[in-house]
Amino acid sequence: MTISSYTERPQRSNIDDGADALSVPWSRPPPRRSRVSARMVSAITILVVLAAWTVSARLQLVSPVFLPSPVAVWNKFVVVARDGFVDATLAQHIAASLWRVFAALIAAVFVGVPIGLAIGVSTIGRGIFDPLLEFLRPIPPLAYLPLIIIWFGIGEPSKILVIAIAMLAPVALSTASGVRGVSKDRINAARSLGATRRQVIRQVILPSALPSILTGLRIALGAGWSTLVAAELVAATRGLGFMIQSAAQFLVTDVAVMGILVIAAIAFVLEFIIRRIERVLVPWAGRE
Amino acid sequence: MTHLVLDKVSVHYDGQPAPAVENVSIEIAKDDFVVLVGRSGCGKTSLLNVAAGLVEPVRGRATIGGRPITAPGSDRAVVFQNDALFPWLTARENVAFALRLRGVRAAERARTADDLLALVKLDGAGDKRIWELSGGMRQRVGLARALAAEPQFLLLDEPLGALDALTRERMQTMLLDLWTASQVGVLMVTHGIDEALVLATRIIVLAPGPGRVVWSFETGFSRRYAAGEAIRSIKADPAFVAARSELTDAIFEGEAA
Repeated sequence: MTISSYTERPQRSNIDDGADALSVPWSRPPPRRSRVSARMVSAITILVVLAAWTVSARLQLVSPVFLPSPVAVWNKFVVVARDGFVDATLAQHIAASLWRVFAALIAAVFVGVPIGLAIGVSTIGRGIFDPLLEFLRPIPPLAYLPLIIIWFGIGEPSKILVIAIAMLAPVALSTASGVRGVSKDRINAARSLGATRRQVIRQVILPSALPSILTGLRIALGAGWSTLVAAELVAATRGLGFMIQSAAQFLVTDVAVMGILVIAAIAFVLEFIIRRIERVLVPWAGRE
Repeated sequence: MTHLVLDKVSVHYDGQPAPAVENVSIEIAKDDFVVLVGRSGCGKTSLLNVAAGLVEPVRGRATIGGRPITAPGSDRAVVFQNDALFPWLTARENVAFALRLRGVRAAERARTADDLLALVKLDGAGDKRIWELSGGMRQRVGLARALAAEPQFLLLDEPLGALDALTRERMQTMLLDLWTASQVGVLMVTHGIDEALVLATRIIVLAPGPGRVVWSFETGFSRRYAAGEAIRSIKADPAFVAARSELTDAIFEGEAA
């Protein structure tokens, strides 16, 4: 009697708990704290904006001259990609703009990283370059564009220069802040292991500042794209900025909207690529 | 034999009303393990930095083997509390850093580094990245990196301060093993009273305002460990317990003054 009641108990509880009795509590997945992720909210936001755009275009709330429908923009994308707009295909416009932005980025890195290094490691360097950068930083590109054209003409170098100037400050200042943020212990450890000043800069300070320099490149690319349209204002025959401006002048708004979306898409892809590069080059960032 | 000597050293930082260290003399031989203890602000780290050549004394002089210390050098490798390792290098490359500075060839560098990693019981961890290592392992990489410079003296600035108690205890015996094996003189700063007694051949008690030596005495516990006695039996020795209370008194007297 007592024996059977002992054997019966666990059996009954097995039945009561059903499947749960088989899985111990600690093997269950932890309770999800929240079912909404920021990513999902972002996706919904984009869908809502697209829907609002479609509906207002379909109901003709706004004239198509001012706001073409998403379908019209997409069709224009296909047409321009195939036949081109103002004497160049979409790919040629993109290539022209990408080349300008990247040439400017390389120039900005070659000039900006050494300047940032000088600001970070030497008082004299800081004295020289800090005021110059602070002077340059807040000036909008459209303000110095005419001067640059007077000085350097209307060719390709001026366009690249305008973008490079806009990129210089973010690259140099990020480098400088990265250099100044290098841990003193790290530098002192290297010195006590016998490193000369030059070795400390090349083998300790520069790699330590690399995460910050890459952040600077990201910011610089953003600044570069915003300057692109200004750079392509004068005497350009190709480029996304030029394409948008010509479209706007002839009230071809679907091309203008399409151009804006293409720039946004390229910027997004570049951001993604740079984050990938960061993960490969500076996997330690944020993990120390 | 080479000695590391601080002779009537005073340190006064710019903009500070009082000197951080006043008139302190310490002499370290190559088989010494000298430990500086004392309250925060007693100038322990300042003294260590003078020996390292990172801080210049306003009075007095620091010499190594009779030559004045004017800059950091690989004859006095420093290990800091925060390991100060280079995260873009593997553990092996970190250890080999001093060798690379000297232009030692890659194959030889790797061999020496692996030997040193084995010495700190990190065999096979050479390819690990720094962020994959625990705090104790990092500190051991830091020690191996310092030893790779073939220093005559090791300057340890609270090297075990950030470790948990158990890791810390194991690291203490490892430090003693390294000290016995590598024949370097050690100057170490610590907050741990037991740690000072276990490791030191000489303990120097400093008091703040301005930093000065209030007590200095020889201890034999680390030499007993080097001679083969177990660390547990040393710590259980009544002489150890007595020394601990004496040392604690000395530090607190310094505080009262």
